[in-house]
Amino acid sequence: MSAPAPAPRARGGVSRARVWSLVAVPLAVIVGSAVLGAAVILLSEPLIPGRQFDPLLWLTAYEAMIQGAIGDPQEWAALDFHSLVSTLVNTAPLVFGGLAVGFGFKAGLFNIGAQGQFLVGALGAVIVGVWLHDAPAPLAIAGATIAGMAFGAAWGFVPGFLKAFAGAHEVVSTIMMNYVAIQLLAALVSGPLKVPRSPQAITFDVGNAAFPVIPFLQPNGHLGILLALIAAVGVWWVLYRTTWGFEVRATGASPDASRYAGMRPRLITVATMTFSGMLAGLAGVCVLLGVTKSMTSSFGTTVGFDSIAVALLARSNPLAIVPAALLFGGMRAGAGLMQIQAEIPAELVDVIQAVILLALVTSPVIRRLLHADTRGSHGTETAASPAAEAAR
Amino acid sequence: MHLSKRLFALGTTTAILISACGGTAATPSPSAAASSAAPSAAASSAAPSAAASSAAPSAAASSAAPSASAVQAPNLKIGVVTDIGTLNDKGYNEYTFKGATDGAMAIGAAAPQSIVPKDASEYAADIKQFVDQKYDIIVTVGFNLTNDTVAAAKANPKIHFVGVDQSPVCVDPQGNPDTTFACKGDAKTLLPNYTSLYFAEDQAGYLAGIVAAYASKNKSIGAIGGTTLCAPCVRYIQGYDMGAKSVTPDIKVTAAYVTNDFSAAAFNDPAGGKAFATTFISTNKPDVLFQVAGKTGNGILEAACQKGIYGIGVDVDQYVSLGAATDPTYGCIITSAEKHVESATSQAIQEIAAGTLSAGDVLFNANNDGIGVSDFHDKASMFGPEVTQALNTALAGMKSGALKTCPATGCGDAKTPLP
Repeated sequence: MSAPAPAPRARGGVSRARVWSLVAVPLAVIVGSAVLGAAVILLSEPLIPGRQFDPLLWLTAYEAMIQGAIGDPQEWAALDFHSLVSTLVNTAPLVFGGLAVGFGFKAGLFNIGAQGQFLVGALGAVIVGVWLHDAPAPLAIAGATIAGMAFGAAWGFVPGFLKAFAGAHEVVSTIMMNYVAIQLLAALVSGPLKVPRSPQAITFDVGNAAFPVIPFLQPNGHLGILLALIAAVGVWWVLYRTTWGFEVRATGASPDASRYAGMRPRLITVATMTFSGMLAGLAGVCVLLGVTKSMTSSFGTTVGFDSIAVALLARSNPLAIVPAALLFGGMRAGAGLMQIQAEIPAELVDVIQAVILLALVTSPVIRRLLHADTRGSHGTETAASPAAEAAR
Repeated sequence: MHLSKRLFALGTTTAILISACGGTAATPSPSAAASSAAPSAAASSAAPSAAASSAAPSAAASSAAPSASAVQAPNLKIGVVTDIGTLNDKGYNEYTFKGATDGAMAIGAAAPQSIVPKDASEYAADIKQFVDQKYDIIVTVGFNLTNDTVAAAKANPKIHFVGVDQSPVCVDPQGNPDTTFACKGDAKTLLPNYTSLYFAEDQAGYLAGIVAAYASKNKSIGAIGGTTLCAPCVRYIQGYDMGAKSVTPDIKVTAAYVTNDFSAAAFNDPAGGKAFATTFISTNKPDVLFQVAGKTGNGILEAACQKGIYGIGVDVDQYVSLGAATDPTYGCIITSAEKHVESATSQAIQEIAAGTLSAGDVLFNANNDGIGVSDFHDKASMFGPEVTQALNTALAGMKSGALKTCPATGCGDAKTPLP
């Protein structure tokens, strides 16, 4: 690794330049993406037959999206914060997913299988949750949550093991595991887990295993939101305050150097992928026990893929993942109202997310533009990708 | 090291692209390329072509035009929450929304708004968006939204909820969605503001069976369903069997199902459908083949055309929706068994405006133009006036209730053998 890290960085500390680069690049990317999104709206408007051209439609769209994500003063005056809570509900699984992907990045691993681990995590939660639906709530919740974590961890362990001992690249194997997860879910929900009398594929309700609503987060802010925050702090602590975390980062920075230093990169790879899978599994637990509470064959979300963008936006910093997830969660929460008020399809959110992702992948260029004047003070700003950057 | 970093970056970018593509392929959503022009012609099937007269039943499908008779309710706000996918999916999402648009126009209300959920965990939140915005009618599309729709209906008794294909409505004695399907509650009285629209597929199948029997030369016809678990699919095929035998009592009707579960093979696997149908045709030697298997069925129709036999489409006029007029891949379609999701949704909205829509399960059949059979298009010359005659007689029989189109016991149950 050619970049000489300043001393505080190694312990997760912050220097002014570090804060600048942590905040300025993502901010520039987000603003740029919003502008491009507006351009897409303006350019596509004339393509819709019979629709009157509205030069301010993009403003209406963003207004509605923001209102859908945070509510409006009238609601706040009435102590009705359901829009904000809805943003938090959308954020929680993204925090878990972002942590999962980000943790992998730190070890130099690209866990693109967060989606599959998410699905089997939810599957584990619904299997045990339905089984324990009559049990006392704390027991049922703990059981279902642990099952989901274990399923996710197992789904992460396999590609980690293959990578460490057979040299199979984790990007390829995790993508393949995603498909296995999708088919497994479809088979189980339409087969053994299906409610026998139901005409269609749906599982029983998890009953007592459902996450309770947190009293000050009415109407639907559930326990998973709290767990996500705890997890973010926990992962930060693991990465920057434990020996294992140091080994993970060292392996990510340079497997050869870490081996030379007496670490065992293979074991670290397996452990990292397993831990990463467990976090992604928790994202699935969070959606299943917190939101859907049962599973239809249409279960399966984009959380796993959005998590990659979250991790990149936060440059894998566990604490920065929370605001990054908040942004994406807010966009999802606001998408509904945007469709109603501006008649703009939810795909706009995808467009903005895609632009953010694309911009982040090419962020060295952007950083060079932003840092043109201060390059000297940063040493060699040559990280070729945010993943490599995040792995430092 | 720099080189390896570059390589990693390249790998990262490629992987993101792959995953993005993979994500799209994995969801059941249809292609975004679906242009809306063709299907709209399909569903309203008003096309008064020369052939229209030979398929009189389809002309009835054109309903939904803003009629002067509809009660005007310009202040009603109508919202549609679809299933995941896209709005223009050539399927339920699209036809329900079109129906809602027609219904809104008929009652003089503003055009409906729609929300397309990004994933299954969003259903409830999306319904709530419309509730918060004080919408008066909320239409939800497909079985997957049933529980969230029922729960919303219970929480908001002043809002009318219309579910498409969410029958049988199943609630517990308190009116909550019953996830165990014990169905102890009476939805009609507990949830007077909730209606599920469902269809008499067996009647549509019966009409298609009549057409098949007239088209068949070797007295052997076939039908392929997506899965044995899909009761509507089974009803289509049971009706098809009875319809064909009403014309040619000794005709041989063979039926098969692609799979026994709700996996992708049932409705989302055109290639699998094509392979399955090719074997089916070589084994059973039918000369007309009816598909009831969604997108898997498109492969079935393809196999039929390739093997030189006739195909019958399902749900909408597939001759139009698949572009058979210009695409020889589907050129052998002689007709389709239709289920009028569009006109049913429109009618439901008009009836809500008039205050006449009943709660609970509402059946759409021959009596309220809920089903039909499509125009013959370029195959019109194959069918003489006796076919139209037979179809009209059957329709009249269905309307009067005298004609049975499904076995008295085991209707919708695949285990019941074809008589």
